[in-house]
Amino acid sequence: MNHRHLLPNEIDLLVDGEAGFGVAPLRAHVAECDECRARLDDARVVVDALEALPHFAPDSRLADRVMAQVPVFVPAHVAARDSVMRWLPQSAPARAAAAVVGTSIAGLLTVAMIWLASRGDAAIFATSLFADRVQSLVIGTARDLALSLLGESAVAAIQASGMLGVTLLVLGFLGTAVGTILALRRLATASSRRA
Amino acid sequence: MLSRAAPRAGPRATPLGQMPHALDLANLPDADVVALALEGREAAHRELIRRYERPVFSLVFRMVRDRELAEDLTQDTFIKVLSHLDRYRSEFKFSSWLFKIANNVAIDHLRRRQLDTVSMDGSPHATTPDAVMASAIELSDSSESALDEMEAKELGSAIEQAIAKLRPEYRSCILLRHVEGRSYEEIATTLDLPLGTVKTYIHRARHELRRALEHTRE
Repeated sequence: MNHRHLLPNEIDLLVDGEAGFGVAPLRAHVAECDECRARLDDARVVVDALEALPHFAPDSRLADRVMAQVPVFVPAHVAARDSVMRWLPQSAPARAAAAVVGTSIAGLLTVAMIWLASRGDAAIFATSLFADRVQSLVIGTARDLALSLLGESAVAAIQASGMLGVTLLVLGFLGTAVGTILALRRLATASSRRA
Repeated sequence: MLSRAAPRAGPRATPLGQMPHALDLANLPDADVVALALEGREAAHRELIRRYERPVFSLVFRMVRDRELAEDLTQDTFIKVLSHLDRYRSEFKFSSWLFKIANNVAIDHLRRRQLDTVSMDGSPHATTPDAVMASAIELSDSSESALDEMEAKELGSAIEQAIAKLRPEYRSCILLRHVEGRSYEEIATTLDLPLGTVKTYIHRARHELRRALEHTRE
């Protein structure tokens, strides 16, 4: 029997349940030494008491209180990915079907683009025709609106004065509008000061 | 009020990039939940709180011994952690980082309280023994009545009272070791202390606790 009693750090090793070749002689000594066994038992009482301590539960609203003060920021790339994911079907068969339909549409559009590119003259003619139609529609609508608002004689006068007349008219309108807004603001400020 | 629920950490159930359901979230390891929280997922933030609110609250409560204050400090801890998740370094355990902040919050509070506390040994300006006696604050066993009934019940056992008398740094070490089951190395990382210091603190804490408990057994 080894007659040297265990040192405090050796008792700690046994309490912590350390393994290793150095621990076996310590265990053997404890088995034979009443004094060291008593010291080890005392140490274990403390550790057992500590390890039996429970966790305490905080207030159930802790998470809500914390989250009320934590700014949750969604990075732009995550937001973009989420938007894409929202449009995708959830189940695998539905995703496969969506992929087939998507590929077919993309294929058809590609063929249409190639066909249009191969017939450049026809595409240019169709585009200019469409632009002419849109232009005449916009001008006609504007003329009808001016006639109903200003009358035929005023519209004739504006047409007669040309681009200069139209510009002066627009500037006059803008000047009147801005002047009216500024006057109203000043009036509102003065009345709020008086109040 | 009391529980022994340990934080769960299991295998990865859902690839990152997809937001798992709450049940799946509970099965993810901490690192994945943190990654989801960094993507702005509120459910991931709440999952981290759910996992660690009890261990953190228990640690802080045993450090400051005041339930209301412990609630506030636990809240501060989680706000700090979740607001600065981008500073978390994934080579360390999330729980170690969390406990480090919780411990710092509690220790900072104890230090501030110590500075704000009037000396109980009497005024330093007292010149006669009578003046010292007159200005001293009497601290008797009845001071425990400052704790409300529930706290006294929760923290009233002999071991809890013995823990309360330990130095704060011993208290952190012994609680992390035996209540949270952390290794010496983890405690050293968590508390930014050399490993040898942690071993010494735990040894001394056990020794003091053993002596304190001897009185109760006699």
